[in-house]
Amino acid sequence: MKTFVLFFGGSAIFGAVTGLAYWLVAHEEATGTVLLGCMAAALAFTAAYAVIAEKNADLPGDDPAELPETAAGENLGIFTTRSAWPILVAISSLAALVGMLWSPLIGFSGLIALILCLWRLGAESARV
Amino acid sequence: MIEWLTTTNHKKIGTMYIVSTLGFFCAAGVLAALIRIQLAQPNSTIIGTHAYNQIFTMHGTAMIFLVIAPFAIGLANFLIPLQIGAPDMAFPRLNATGLWLFIIGGLTVFAGFATYGGAASAGWSNYAPLSEITIGTGAGEDLYLVGLTLTGISNILTAVNFVVTIVCFRAPGMTFWRMPIFTWEMVATSILILMAFPTLTAVMAMVLIDRHMGGHFFDPAQGGNPILYQHLFWFFGHPEVYIMILPYFGVVAEIIATFSRKPVFGYVGMVISAFAIAGLSLGVWAHHMFTTGAVSNPFFSGISFLIAIPTGVKFVNWIGTMWKGSIELTTPMILCVCFLLNFLLGGITGVMVASPPLDYMAHDSYFIVQHFHYTLGGGSLFALFAALFFYFPKIFGVKLDERLGKWFAALFFIGFNVTFIPMGFAGLEGMARRMSTYPDVAHLALLNGLSSIGTAIIAVSVVLFFVNVLVSVRNREPVGNDPWGGYSLEWLTSSPPPEFNFDELPPIRSKMPAWDVAEGREVSRS
Repeated sequence: MKTFVLFFGGSAIFGAVTGLAYWLVAHEEATGTVLLGCMAAALAFTAAYAVIAEKNADLPGDDPAELPETAAGENLGIFTTRSAWPILVAISSLAALVGMLWSPLIGFSGLIALILCLWRLGAESARV
Repeated sequence: MIEWLTTTNHKKIGTMYIVSTLGFFCAAGVLAALIRIQLAQPNSTIIGTHAYNQIFTMHGTAMIFLVIAPFAIGLANFLIPLQIGAPDMAFPRLNATGLWLFIIGGLTVFAGFATYGGAASAGWSNYAPLSEITIGTGAGEDLYLVGLTLTGISNILTAVNFVVTIVCFRAPGMTFWRMPIFTWEMVATSILILMAFPTLTAVMAMVLIDRHMGGHFFDPAQGGNPILYQHLFWFFGHPEVYIMILPYFGVVAEIIATFSRKPVFGYVGMVISAFAIAGLSLGVWAHHMFTTGAVSNPFFSGISFLIAIPTGVKFVNWIGTMWKGSIELTTPMILCVCFLLNFLLGGITGVMVASPPLDYMAHDSYFIVQHFHYTLGGGSLFALFAALFFYFPKIFGVKLDERLGKWFAALFFIGFNVTFIPMGFAGLEGMARRMSTYPDVAHLALLNGLSSIGTAIIAVSVVLFFVNVLVSVRNREPVGNDPWGGYSLEWLTSSPPPEFNFDELPPIRSKMPAWDVAEGREVSRS
């Protein structure tokens, strides 16, 4: 986790420094400063999440002397092998977007289908 | 069939990404051939202007959004869990959702050809207000915007999945600093995707709002700002170049180390340079806008020059890995050597156009077409085929024929250089890009004729590649776990791997667990 924080935190600092330098040389043009600032903020948020919320995370991959048996079988969790919802989410997303432009009826139906599919996908994920 | 449509297994998802990107590659290749048929002679009228605009727009769009970047995502889907010793990706359903958004998005973009006004025709960069008010008024443009929005969301979902999988699902002992270079490159690539793609999705939505909901973000007549579009697009667009190359840097590092029988030279430098390239690439977007006169040219020129340093570090690493190694010239290795030669030319021409005075001369000329084809075609595409030859046995359990493979590599390399070297000279003689025809002046007829001959050679080589696939699959000679003598974890499992990847993992005590096992090195379990 330390390496993760190092790279995300380092990238955030880089973004902030670049944003500041950009503002100094091109302050009349706000777009670049905003984009670089948002980038730095997003990376800093991720690094801060890792520091604050996951500081006690015990990842077997972080221990150089750990044996494979410590994270095998049920210790590792259960992985699903099939779900029909992802393809339905994609189809309903297309219907919602295209419908929004060309046909409100298709767009509205696609949006309802998308919400239903996402809800079912979430419910299925919560079970397994 | 239903099994494949509903699968959430990372290997099947990776395989479907790879197969679908090869399908899009064939479509993009046909479009490229049409471009070269049109330009083979001066004053050609074979293809009309509007059709030509659609063809080059869709060729670029397909290669960038539907072939080079998503192939790497497919390969990473297949490889990352295997390389870090995980049974699957962290979020299998999210992974499948990303795949289907990509496939449906890609087909939506191509569906534009079936509409009355034809496909999108404002160039792959889809500049507004051109894409809003001038020529991009048809349904094809809408489908382009919707399709790219879906593929953009797909990329964001997949990048989140990669980062979480790599952080949380590494096998015991697989510390960050023991991960293969390809996995490291995918961490850097995922960060780039997460920073860049939301901007693309936002700008596509803004164009849709302008087109359908009375917005005026980019219409100067109504107080909008077209330069804003360029800023937002290139804040995505330049990192996208590195999204398309960083994974292939990883592939090249893996292949060169395997066939030089040496560990990667300068492993830490390789990792840090990947992140340096990723970081710097987020600060160079407006070097595509030098000639607008609306950006700080010294700032963007300076950072663009800086990128050459970490890229040079990578070249030193690759050559250092080969240095005094026991080099075996297999097809993947030959393609990697071709990659080094081509990418060097792409990099050097990139440094040239990072200088604003030179860029003013070369901007929107065929010199630029040559430059980016050497980085993304000569670079990424050669590494893509190297990856196909290298990982084909692991993915499909079949090794591609080496003799046909070497013929493919030779023809592809010759065809590529015959196509794109003349383009640089045509650009220097003033030939503008995206023109459907050109006058018979200077040496343009000769140079374009050569380019078209080169494209025909590339077409033959690609046909030969698919013949190789058919012949090899039909012969189906069995391969073991490790047909190449690879060093990373994926070579310790069967080809193709079982559903959850490993029946048993060895203790991981170095960066080269497969070589540790093969050489019987001490891998103490205590």
